Amino acid sequence: MVTNRTPHKWGMVIDLDRCTGCQACVVSCQSENNVPINTKDLFQQRRAYEWIRIERYWEGEFPDVKARFIPILCQHCENAPCEPVCPVFATYHNDEGLNVQIYNRCIGTRYCANNCPYQVRFFNYWEPQWPERLRNQLNPDVTVRSRGIMERCSFCVQRIRRAELTVERQERATLDYETMKKRNFLPACVQACPTNALNFGDQKDPTGPVYEYFKDLNEHEEEERKTRGYRLLEEMATKPNVIYLKKVDQFPVSNGGGHG
Amino acid sequence: MQEGRVLPARQINRDLLRSILESPRWFWLAVGIFAIVTFVAWGAAGLMINKGLGLTGLNRPVMWGFFLVNFVFWIGISHAGVMLSAILRLSKAEWRRPATRAAEVLTVFSLMTAVLMPLIHTGRPWRTVYWIYTLPFIPFDFARGVWPNVRSPLVWDPSAIYTYLTSSILFVLVALLPDMAVLRDRTTGIPHRIYTVLAMGWQGHPRQWKLQIIAGVLLSALILPVFVSVHSIVSWDFGMTVAVKSWHSTIFAPYFVVGAVHSGVSAVAFAMIILRWIYGWQDYIRHEHIDALGRLLIVVATGWFYFFVMEILFGFYGREADEIAVRNLQFTEYPWNVWFIIFVAVVYFIPVALWLPKKFRRNLWIMSIACISVNIGMWLERYIIIVPGLTQKQVFTFDWGTYTPSVVETMIVIGTFAQVAMLMLLFARVLPLIPLYDIKEGDILKTQVQIGRRTVPATFRED
Amino acid sequence: MANGHHANGHHEGGHHAGMWVFPQASETTQDVVSKTYTMPKPVVYGLVVSGILLVLGIVGFVIRVGVSGFDAHGPWGYYAATFSFVFMITSTAPLAAVAFRITKSHWRRPVTRISELFGLLGVFNILMFIPLMMVLPPIHNPNAGHHELEVRRTLWFEVPIGAPHWWDMLGIIGLALAALVILWLSMTPDLAEARHTATGFRRSLYGMLAGHWHGTKRQWNYQKAWLAMLGAFYFMLLIFMHFTISTDYAMSLIAGWKDSIFPVLYSLTGFQSSLGLLLIILFILRRWGGYDTYIGISPFWSASKLILAFSLLWCYHMFSFGITYWYGRLEVEQNILKYLLFESYGGMFAANFFFSFVAPFLTLLWNPVRRSDWGPALAGAFALIGAFVFNLRIFVASFNADHVYAHFLADVPAPVFPMLWDVFIVLGGLGLVAFFYLLATRLIPLMCIWEIKEGTMYQKMDTLIRGRYLVLAKPE
Repeated sequence: MVTNRTPHKWGMVIDLDRCTGCQACVVSCQSENNVPINTKDLFQQRRAYEWIRIERYWEGEFPDVKARFIPILCQHCENAPCEPVCPVFATYHNDEGLNVQIYNRCIGTRYCANNCPYQVRFFNYWEPQWPERLRNQLNPDVTVRSRGIMERCSFCVQRIRRAELTVERQERATLDYETMKKRNFLPACVQACPTNALNFGDQKDPTGPVYEYFKDLNEHEEEERKTRGYRLLEEMATKPNVIYLKKVDQFPVSNGGGHG
Repeated sequence: MQEGRVLPARQINRDLLRSILESPRWFWLAVGIFAIVTFVAWGAAGLMINKGLGLTGLNRPVMWGFFLVNFVFWIGISHAGVMLSAILRLSKAEWRRPATRAAEVLTVFSLMTAVLMPLIHTGRPWRTVYWIYTLPFIPFDFARGVWPNVRSPLVWDPSAIYTYLTSSILFVLVALLPDMAVLRDRTTGIPHRIYTVLAMGWQGHPRQWKLQIIAGVLLSALILPVFVSVHSIVSWDFGMTVAVKSWHSTIFAPYFVVGAVHSGVSAVAFAMIILRWIYGWQDYIRHEHIDALGRLLIVVATGWFYFFVMEILFGFYGREADEIAVRNLQFTEYPWNVWFIIFVAVVYFIPVALWLPKKFRRNLWIMSIACISVNIGMWLERYIIIVPGLTQKQVFTFDWGTYTPSVVETMIVIGTFAQVAMLMLLFARVLPLIPLYDIKEGDILKTQVQIGRRTVPATFRED
Repeated sequence: MANGHHANGHHEGGHHAGMWVFPQASETTQDVVSKTYTMPKPVVYGLVVSGILLVLGIVGFVIRVGVSGFDAHGPWGYYAATFSFVFMITSTAPLAAVAFRITKSHWRRPVTRISELFGLLGVFNILMFIPLMMVLPPIHNPNAGHHELEVRRTLWFEVPIGAPHWWDMLGIIGLALAALVILWLSMTPDLAEARHTATGFRRSLYGMLAGHWHGTKRQWNYQKAWLAMLGAFYFMLLIFMHFTISTDYAMSLIAGWKDSIFPVLYSLTGFQSSLGLLLIILFILRRWGGYDTYIGISPFWSASKLILAFSLLWCYHMFSFGITYWYGRLEVEQNILKYLLFESYGGMFAANFFFSFVAPFLTLLWNPVRRSDWGPALAGAFALIGAFVFNLRIFVASFNADHVYAHFLADVPAPVFPMLWDVFIVLGGLGLVAFFYLLATRLIPLMCIWEIKEGTMYQKMDTLIRGRYLVLAKPE
């Protein structure tokens, strides 16, 4: 361990007001993380892998209707329900706020997937397949997962590790948000987001984009918050390291909510 | 043991050992058929291990399906053994005598079958074997840092199940000792040698009897907490899951245990009727025994029903949208509503209605129907608990799913039934399924009391 | 095993001495009835002490009304706990007679009457319930705020009018009536016999209650059929009432406490403690009441196994609740655990756990203890204390959990300690049960004479090979 390293605590802030549902994050994640191609068959079997997915909900009745988008990825809960239930410690929490999956240990009980309220854990029902022409696009930094194990969003841990390795260990510099951004160390989805709806950074880094939201949410009760931030399924007390910002609805649907 | 004749010991030996010393042609035919079905299922499991769990109907979010339903079901059946043997032995119920051995053996075989289910259900069974399933055989691979996570109910599970399996095998063996000695004395050649070893020098000395009785009582008492823990822990596989609202219920442990006893005792009653029929044991498995089982089952079923109602009521009590959604699915949406009605009818109302009149309890056909009906119902119960909870797990309606079991899964499930039937038959071929000495003991304790002009059957109490 | 011996029945059988007793059928009636008419000193003392407690309780109640009125339910926590304890004991105790009559257990015979006698106390459950009806907050939130529920969590789902107050009342009245009828049915044959020798008001009372009884076969059949049917009804109604009282007056008052096992735990506590109370009474009667002719060790031995089983089940159900709530780590569940189990009422829970599980379990673990009269009675006393603490813990906590209409328990409320008049109320509840039960024992024979006599026909000692053993006949 390097001693001059500052302990990080990674977090993501997703601004729903900016999300257009364009799916750029989905595609970039797919290619960065060697996620198998979601074929028609896989979708029909309901076994598609979507480390990050755009959930779409309809609000209102036609024609007065709005589509709502919410990108959902692993929430990297501080108090993750998926962790204690794993019989082999294949998933655990590291000190940087990341929920880590150890593919080698995983035996595929799928208990963690059951106990994940956000449904962001994916099981490899089949041996992953890529078309021949895509073989060379596989990311050498990321394990290709075999069948029979769980996988899910890692906050692009390979990028974080490379950032820590090059910036902190080799260059002995501090790893701040600007460096992360400039040198492409941000997670693929964040990097790809055209509207900057996804923001990533160190929760302890005041220069970063996520600092104030985490501070606000950690310090204030629900009623007293100054930002639009909230956490998904807050009542479950999973304490996610992902924060969502409420949509500012200028033209709300007249006849109220409901989705279908 | 009130109605039947008191038979000479010699005849008891002859009758009860008939299944071992003679083997009719139908026996091998039946075993053959069951074996074929079993091996087909094993083949299917092998194929699945080879190709991946894609061959099942599992998906996201329904990650657990038929295998786990079947696992819980067979664990449930395995609860018959202790219920009948240990509890009835401790409470000195005379009518237990012909039922104990069958119940214990059914326990062992259904447990052995049950543990296969989570094994093939995992993604990488070859790892599960050395990581989770090694508990009773070799120590964990601590040297390489391969620690299991003791916080996980999936680690509690094998601990409890293996303890239960080990102790029920011991239980069977201890109870078998006197009978093995009888077999040793009546066989020749290789079987004789095997029985000699198994009988462990049983000569029937008073001291041996005393030790055997003490061992039986001790094992009965010690096995009880294990028995309760097994199904409780199986229920906690589900109950600990906060993300699945309809599973996260405090009542799950006793609810599952009572349900297990319900299905297990029914299964034993059915097995007894079959044994009586195929081996002609009319003098041993009599109407009064089935009658007593029926009465016990009314109590167990009603207890189960109470827990069932509690579970349902408290599902609504919280008025949480996601939980109501699951209940809504279970009760109102096709096909779950149909399954649900069938389940409640066949698991409680039909069998209890059939058990209430004494005439029906003493009719073997009706009893068989009632007992099979209970087990169909209990299988459905686990299905209705496990799958709908997963299909509509949280408020994210976008991720709600469905589940249709695949052919492979169905084949494996059918195979487990064939496997247990085959193992039971094979056991009957080598060891007596009704304890000889227990029957003889019961006959000795039989007596009568004269009350006015009536002669009332009575028994000696040994304590 | 009738024989010519006099008075103290007849014990037989080596090391089984005292395990079974074989009372003399011809002398039972006279003996039991005559004991009912006496007024021994301990009974007088008991009546005086419990009478004083009862008066204290009434005083406490009046002060409580004066101090806090019926507007808020909070201050009534100790009263609710007292009610629940009295209700739990007095309504569950008759179950012993009911249940073991159905299972045809021979050891029940000396227990049935002392268990059924509690049916007489049902009327006090009704009376004690009235103030609770008045303080229970309505299901609909009268002034719903932004973060509050419109309708508080309840199992009545707004369907029946007057729920839960009046329906619970109806159930309690039903229980009281059923218990009275069961008692009457069961004691009719005894009173019919006793009225010939009784004098004074007892003679006319017995005549009124049992004048119709001639002991025809038809009457016996009717009596037994009705006892069985009413018994089954009583059992079901009792379980239902345990369920409603424990949810309406405890669980639904703590926001977010959703615990499907709690009604079961409540019932279990009731079974365990009421059986324990019966054993204490049985012990007193056997040791000092002169009933040792009828009470062998066998009822203690058999009931002790049940208490042992109930203790284990109590621990099991408690654990089942605890682990499910603890493992999930949901905030609401953590708060409820802290409130009821670990922080606010942590000490109470420790005592509860000790008396409901640890103490009776450790006492009854040993067969020699189980085969005595003092051991099971001691364990019964532990169970009784356990149930008392259980009710205090649950009901005081529930009545003082502030926001009934909140979504969940946001923070852990502090424990509430009793005022002096709360102590009076609690003592008064205990005094009430003791006072009226003692009065009842002077009025109604304490042994079920016809069952004891029936028992003498079904049990005898006989020789098997070299030993003398008990022979039990089981009629179909």
